[in-house]
Amino acid sequence: MELVVDQARLEQAVFELVGYMVTSGRNLIDETPLYGPFRLVDAVSRLILILEKEGVVSDRLRTMQERIDAGKYFVMSDVDEFESFLDSLVDTLVDHADFEERR
Amino acid sequence: MDLWEAIRERRSVRTFLDRPVTRETIERLLEAAIWAPSGGNAQTWRFVVLTNPAEIRRIKIVSPGLLGDPAAVIAVCQDLVQARAKGGNLGETFLAPVDAAMATQNLLLAAYAEGLGTCTVASFHRRGVSRLLKLAEGIEPILLVSLGYPAQLPPAPARQREGVFVFGVSRGSS
Repeated sequence: MELVVDQARLEQAVFELVGYMVTSGRNLIDETPLYGPFRLVDAVSRLILILEKEGVVSDRLRTMQERIDAGKYFVMSDVDEFESFLDSLVDTLVDHADFEERR
Repeated sequence: MDLWEAIRERRSVRTFLDRPVTRETIERLLEAAIWAPSGGNAQTWRFVVLTNPAEIRRIKIVSPGLLGDPAAVIAVCQDLVQARAKGGNLGETFLAPVDAAMATQNLLLAAYAEGLGTCTVASFHRRGVSRLLKLAEGIEPILLVSLGYPAQLPPAPARQREGVFVFGVSRGSS
């Protein structure tokens, strides 16, 4: 399947993600340490959505994105739950890490 | 709207419906904000309202705490030159942010009464936001408030009470 990428849209979306990550990098020096893991996984979710908009779609990426968005806000309410959520994300990664088979 | 309901049911909303908020509604929220108390009745707060989606996207680039796609963003600012002139060092360094916070709480409760969701954001780059908003010298953004019709209401986090309230002088209460 040939991908048709809207370069201007992609560049704009990546620029916004870059802004999110760079500003997070600066601000996290002074912020709640738990915001670090939150911003990392949230950036992953944003990246997957950007790729999806440009036609890069996969079940495992979509699964990761949906799981991140479903659990990321535990950081605001329940630290233990947030930690379990991050562990479960790694489990999901392992479940889908069939790298060799996909080559 | 019952005040207790607004206080207890307001949530920090981070997912919004794609539905605009009218200027008249926002003006009512701003009116609520400026009825907050301020140290020495300084009233040195300033508010910048963004409803243009492109302007909101731009401000989000340097505001990682601004989550979701709100219909509006209100930058709660302080005129620190005026704050110093009216309240000295205390006015500039302490009262200005406290006053901004009190005005913000009024705004949040008024928004709840209008059926709107809000989230108060301190995670943004001060200088970056100042530049993007083209704020005049001495005007500093203190908080951002995202505003819109909620798509989802998060559950209320538990409230801690143990050791929080002290009546009278109590040794070792802190």
